Amino acid sequence: MQIRPELQALRSNDALQRHAQRELKARVADWRAAAPVELAEDELARLAGGANLEDLPLLAAMFTSGDSTARQFVGGLVDSLCAGLAATPLGLVPLRHFTDDALASIMVARSGFATLSLQAFDGLAMARRPLPLSASFSPSCSWEAILAGSAPARLIHCRQIWPDHAELEVEPLQLRAGAAFARSNRTSALLLGRFEGCLVTLRMQCRKADGGVTREYRLDDGALLHQAAGTPRESRLELTAALLGRMGRTDAAPLLAAMAQEDGGSGLRWQALRECLGLDTAAGFRSLCAIARNPADPLAAPAEALCTQLRAAHPQLAEFEPCPA
Amino acid sequence: MNLPKIDISSLPDLDTLTGVFGSLAHPVQALQSDDTLIVLMVFVYDTIKP
Repeated sequence: MQIRPELQALRSNDALQRHAQRELKARVADWRAAAPVELAEDELARLAGGANLEDLPLLAAMFTSGDSTARQFVGGLVDSLCAGLAATPLGLVPLRHFTDDALASIMVARSGFATLSLQAFDGLAMARRPLPLSASFSPSCSWEAILAGSAPARLIHCRQIWPDHAELEVEPLQLRAGAAFARSNRTSALLLGRFEGCLVTLRMQCRKADGGVTREYRLDDGALLHQAAGTPRESRLELTAALLGRMGRTDAAPLLAAMAQEDGGSGLRWQALRECLGLDTAAGFRSLCAIARNPADPLAAPAEALCTQLRAAHPQLAEFEPCPA
Repeated sequence: MNLPKIDISSLPDLDTLTGVFGSLAHPVQALQSDDTLIVLMVFVYDTIKP
């Protein structure tokens, strides 16, 4: 393996690396002091809390077509970080970031479920990738300001949803520097076409913590390919429920029974119910019957089917809790 | 009442399974449309005291 002398030197003395990190952290701190970052974070918190964009002057200006606020907001940060990285190329930008061959992204501000990210798409690298076969729709809203470059794109609208497919409609559009637009990711997805150069955008996204799921549909025929939890919290709770089950924590059964009956994603609630039944038959069956009895609950039908299955397999349960057939 | 112990593997899943946050069938278009991102961290705890 070839190790460059700069990296080799860091093995015995990491002072240079620590210096680079201090340098980049100072640059981000200087930007935060100069740009209205705290105001942006405050407005992001209000957006996440349900405020309308029109009532948030800084963010509204950033995502208004032809307005230069977004460029000014991130311009100082980009200039400063580029100068810092030129001086200390091994430094790590102290903001959450991601990069692959086609996309570089930096999250410049965040508050709760709302984020503000700077993104740069490389047209050449994007052209080397296969064309997308699917589009995904998540419980969130996005606002996009095109800061530089231009690209053809397709907005995929999800017009109607059935259990195993959706009606999709394609709207072509051209992204140009200076443009800004908003969309609900529940009903629309943006797919970039082939373009030259680099497309730079500022994206604001606000996730909804309403138990919604992300659904991925095939572009050709609208078939449902995949469904995923809409928030990290749902997945975290599901993993926690599975862990409590594997650990045999019978003391967690009341909590799992309550989770199964709370508002939330059906997937999470069903897994909590299964784990609860495995840990404590009485608590789990009581919760199962309560769900089955509530016709407004989306889990009522599978809960009723499971009730019937368990009563047939275990006749003792028929006497334990009356459960409508 | 003496209730049976239920084997969780005998309990059915829902017709449509829900994957973890951020999972996709075709991740090629991920991040174009959405800032979905997963950070997986592995923690290794040393349980043997020196």
